[in-house]
Amino acid sequence: MDEKILCIEDNPDNMILIRRVLQARGYRLVEAETGLEGLSLAEDREIRLILLDINLPDVDGYEVARRLRTDLNHRAERVPIIAITANALKGDAEKALEAGCDVYMAKPINIHELWARVAFFLPRT
Amino acid sequence: MDFSRVGKNTSTFTSPNFLSLLKCAGCGMEFDPWRIHTFCPTCQSPLLAEYDLESARAKLDRDSFRYRRTGMWRWYELLPVNDPAHIVTLGEGDCPLLRLVRITREWNLPYVFVKDESANPTGTFKARGLSAAVSKAGELGIHRVIIPTAGNAGGAMAAYAARAGLDALIYFPKDTPRANIEESRIAGAKVILVDGLISDAAGVAGETARREGWFDLSTFKEPYRVEGKKIMGYELAEAFQWELPDVIIYPTGGGTGLVGMWKAFREMEALGWLRNAKKPRMVSVQAEGCAPVVKAFESGAAFCDFWTGAHTLATGLRVPKSFADQLILKYLRESGGTAVVVSDESILRAQQVLCRKEGIFAAPEGAATLAALEELVRRKWVRPDERVVLFNTGSGLKYLDHSNGPENGPAPR
Repeated sequence: MDEKILCIEDNPDNMILIRRVLQARGYRLVEAETGLEGLSLAEDREIRLILLDINLPDVDGYEVARRLRTDLNHRAERVPIIAITANALKGDAEKALEAGCDVYMAKPINIHELWARVAFFLPRT
Repeated sequence: MDFSRVGKNTSTFTSPNFLSLLKCAGCGMEFDPWRIHTFCPTCQSPLLAEYDLESARAKLDRDSFRYRRTGMWRWYELLPVNDPAHIVTLGEGDCPLLRLVRITREWNLPYVFVKDESANPTGTFKARGLSAAVSKAGELGIHRVIIPTAGNAGGAMAAYAARAGLDALIYFPKDTPRANIEESRIAGAKVILVDGLISDAAGVAGETARREGWFDLSTFKEPYRVEGKKIMGYELAEAFQWELPDVIIYPTGGGTGLVGMWKAFREMEALGWLRNAKKPRMVSVQAEGCAPVVKAFESGAAFCDFWTGAHTLATGLRVPKSFADQLILKYLRESGGTAVVVSDESILRAQQVLCRKEGIFAAPEGAATLAALEELVRRKWVRPDERVVLFNTGSGLKYLDHSNGPENGPAPR
């Protein structure tokens, strides 16, 4: 299975969990700790799906999604985005979807749901 | 509290309860129930308490429970607190099961009942779960409890924490009914209002819990609230002479009661207490403005999408996504049940009907079950000879800022 998933997440514990869970299902992960690094990797690599944290140290996840969706020349412009966040601000789900994310998931991340969400976009043959 | 000497039953029990382990509902991993746990660290699913039902079957006499002092804790052996000295009770449980008379005559449904949970301390069913969770937290040496809540769970936690001498911190959405905020403050809890929904409150509370070392009693983020709620199932079985009703209509926010009752039915089956294997068809009721379970149920999904823009006057139903969504959906399907959406208008109308025709001033969430029954009758999903139980989860008195009864108007039809 060569589908590459870009995970943009600054919390190392969450990154470890996501890596472990997705690698167990045979997915390959590309990792970024900041929004700008994520945007750059999405441009450079063949990415099929993005897992996007919202609270990031430089540009936040909303901005990452917005930039991806509005830059028609960006390689990842049409790549599905799953927002995964523990944001505690009003309407964070609405904001994530408005910014261009396809799905919103709240932390703590339920791995059965994560597997199902990822498999929806990257079905296993 | 010495249950061995309560009531007419003179037989004593020396063993504590039959709690044997905690098991992850997602991956099956097992945990020691004598240590502090939240949810599964591996797959992040809820943990459920398991009991040694084989031993319990040999030692417990189902017919003896009715002779004990009334209340939820008479089912002590099947609840998670090991030492009765740690039980924190305000007399919760054993709420009335009322047969509806006038409404059912008009609707030609003679066997419709309301389990009226408004009789609980703090006026809602939340008392059951919080009695169990606060008791167990005390037993495990926890001194500070925190909760994000749509309203009633906050009031209940404040009361039980006060009785147990625990510090309590509560995060409410800003537009929570005033009764919930006031009762919590009066009970000594620290109250913080959040601009958003319960999901937003959960985010802030979770962060505070991690940062400051509070124990989080959020729905299904600890294993014991559901244990208190499950006793509703035991009470129903006992009331119906150990033959479960045909249909249970339940308002679903976090879904603890629904999951808890289904767990109770399975436990009773393993205990050999039920007269037959037939279990109720479980019906989940949600409001039009926040119906993630209904949407997922209808689409065949295994989990819910986060419901955006959630709004309904039934604040207890304003839960954009339950932490136990997968369990709720699984049990609805397993039971052959369904999920029904009702409008706020139909909830208010049902609230008036229940009060004017039966004298039950139900919470909007409870009234929603009558609105759902009306819809299920229209769909012919419920047969006239079936025994149906509606759950009124709380008192309408806690929602006076949302009620809009007509002044001296005619009884609604």
